[in-house]
Amino acid sequence: MAKRKNGKGDQLSGHIAAFQGRLRKLSKAATLKDFAVQFAGVVKEVLPSTDVDLFYQAPGAGQWDLMARTGPGAGDRLPLLPRKHPTATSAVRETSNTLSMVQELVDDSTIGIVVRKPPGKKYSEVERLSLRLFVYLFDNAYHDLLSRRHEKDLIFSLNHRVLQLNSLIGTGIEVAKLDQESSPHQMALERAASLTNASKGVVRLQQGKSIKEQITFPSGVSIQRGAQNKISAKFTFGQNTYTFELFEKESRNGFVQFEETDQLLLDALARQVHASLENRYLHEQALEKQRIEQEMSVAASIQQRIIPKSLPKIPGYDIAGINIPSKSVGGDYYDCIPLRDGTFALIIADVAGKGMPAALLVSSLHAYLSAYLETSISLPDLAKRLNTVIGHASTADKFITAIIALVSPGKGEIESLNAGHNPAYLLRSDNSSQQLTAGGLPFGMLDTELPYESECVSVTQGDSLLLYTDGITEATNEKNELYEDCLSLKDFLQNHKTSRADEFISDLIAGIRRFTGSAPQSDDITALYLHRTQ
Amino acid sequence: MEQPFSLTSELRDKRLIITTSGYVNNVGGEAIAREFQRHFENGTKEVVLNLAQSKVVNSVGMSFLIEIIEQLEESKGKLVFTNLDPAVEKMLTIMGLFEFAGKAATIEDALKSFARQK
Repeated sequence: MAKRKNGKGDQLSGHIAAFQGRLRKLSKAATLKDFAVQFAGVVKEVLPSTDVDLFYQAPGAGQWDLMARTGPGAGDRLPLLPRKHPTATSAVRETSNTLSMVQELVDDSTIGIVVRKPPGKKYSEVERLSLRLFVYLFDNAYHDLLSRRHEKDLIFSLNHRVLQLNSLIGTGIEVAKLDQESSPHQMALERAASLTNASKGVVRLQQGKSIKEQITFPSGVSIQRGAQNKISAKFTFGQNTYTFELFEKESRNGFVQFEETDQLLLDALARQVHASLENRYLHEQALEKQRIEQEMSVAASIQQRIIPKSLPKIPGYDIAGINIPSKSVGGDYYDCIPLRDGTFALIIADVAGKGMPAALLVSSLHAYLSAYLETSISLPDLAKRLNTVIGHASTADKFITAIIALVSPGKGEIESLNAGHNPAYLLRSDNSSQQLTAGGLPFGMLDTELPYESECVSVTQGDSLLLYTDGITEATNEKNELYEDCLSLKDFLQNHKTSRADEFISDLIAGIRRFTGSAPQSDDITALYLHRTQ
Repeated sequence: MEQPFSLTSELRDKRLIITTSGYVNNVGGEAIAREFQRHFENGTKEVVLNLAQSKVVNSVGMSFLIEIIEQLEESKGKLVFTNLDPAVEKMLTIMGLFEFAGKAATIEDALKSFARQK
């Protein structure tokens, strides 16, 4: 009896050992289907002369799926499965040549197995016990499969999180690059769709209600308004509103709802685009500033080359001049040009505008004056010509105000022409003053033949002539008050008694500095002072 | 900008070359897997996946690629990616696909790499 028991035990142990050996192979199955097919094969190997049908019922599903079948596939053997009591975890049924069993698995799914021998052959007790053990082992192997699958999913999910983080950093760097072929918002849309598993997306650039640009991902895909399964992010830069929308998060089992992480990712990418656009704008501003500074530097060097380093000596007169350029190079100019007939041409000019265009126009004026002054044309005709050539050389918003004064030392005369400039002051030795205003419109202001007139004044010993630009009269202090409103240049001229022109100029500048205090110089300061000493 | 997905395939000396265009997502990944499966069942075990025209891949698409790699791994076959966009290459690297799959600059390089292994 005992021997018989041992025989059954050995047989059972042999079945289990054979099964366990194959379990290792089973554990490599990638899918449930593979797993089931291999299990059915193992059962058939261990229980010879048996056809195996393996069914599977997913958790919560009401129907069975045939997962594997060995032997001829005739007939539906599903009805042979036993009915399991709801509270039980397994059930067994046996007919003449079939043995069937259902077993609840670790994840609440259920396996059903039907094994069948040829008609007339019955299953032994050992075989019944083996099948039961096989099913338990199946449960263990299935558990192992789920664990491996879970582990794989976990690694995949972890890698995906790393990918999202890495991509977020990478995208931040890439959208910040200024030489990208595609726009930063297009790149961000692609990355956002990819990282969130969105099936499609769109970025809209709107100004008010009008859409200036719309990019879809993938290209040309239709975007339906009012779609529910979506996430969005928006920001405003300048007058443009950028709106990112992602639709239909994908999974292997169809569309699913977006997660909170997806929204965070989209928000972060949108912020990166915003920062990138701001950086591009600031970069462009910096380049523009650099360009302007370079232009200013060139303009300043042009202007400084034209402004005389020293003035010629005029017999019986003392003369001094100054030009203090402001930060933004203006178009002030002064000169004293000795002419072949013994006269001296005093010039002061101010070009409307600043920077390179102003400097070039001053340069033109200087060249034209040098050429025309040596001809025998009258001062009004000279002014007409200057008006024409400056008008042709400048844009509509550029013109030059100027005073040209021809000093004849021997005659003690000054012929003056004022082209829309601040009137020159002539201070007599008796302290009376006179403004020299005769002339016409600024040079280049109107492209027509304009009449100009000049005036002649005589100068005697002790008389002075002051030419200046509005950088003096409109110098402002910290309270934003104008020099002319508070102190008056005429008063300074009348109250300042000195026979030396350079002293007059330096005192004038010192007075302006005292007035303006720490307020920045807003315009060029230019003055030319002539004093008759004999 | 990425186009909707499409693919073409050819067999060269029993080696399958799949060339894709567009977003490798659920639809794209499934189409690649289907095309692969069709040839795999007929014994093809060396596969080149040319992603020259696919600049964007999502993780659902990648899960299909992983399954292909696993199937080939089990049957001693191999998948080699070619013409990878740097961003896609980085994604596949981070997701660990190159632990079991190869990469090559061009289809010809990929085919040569199969020949060298033999």
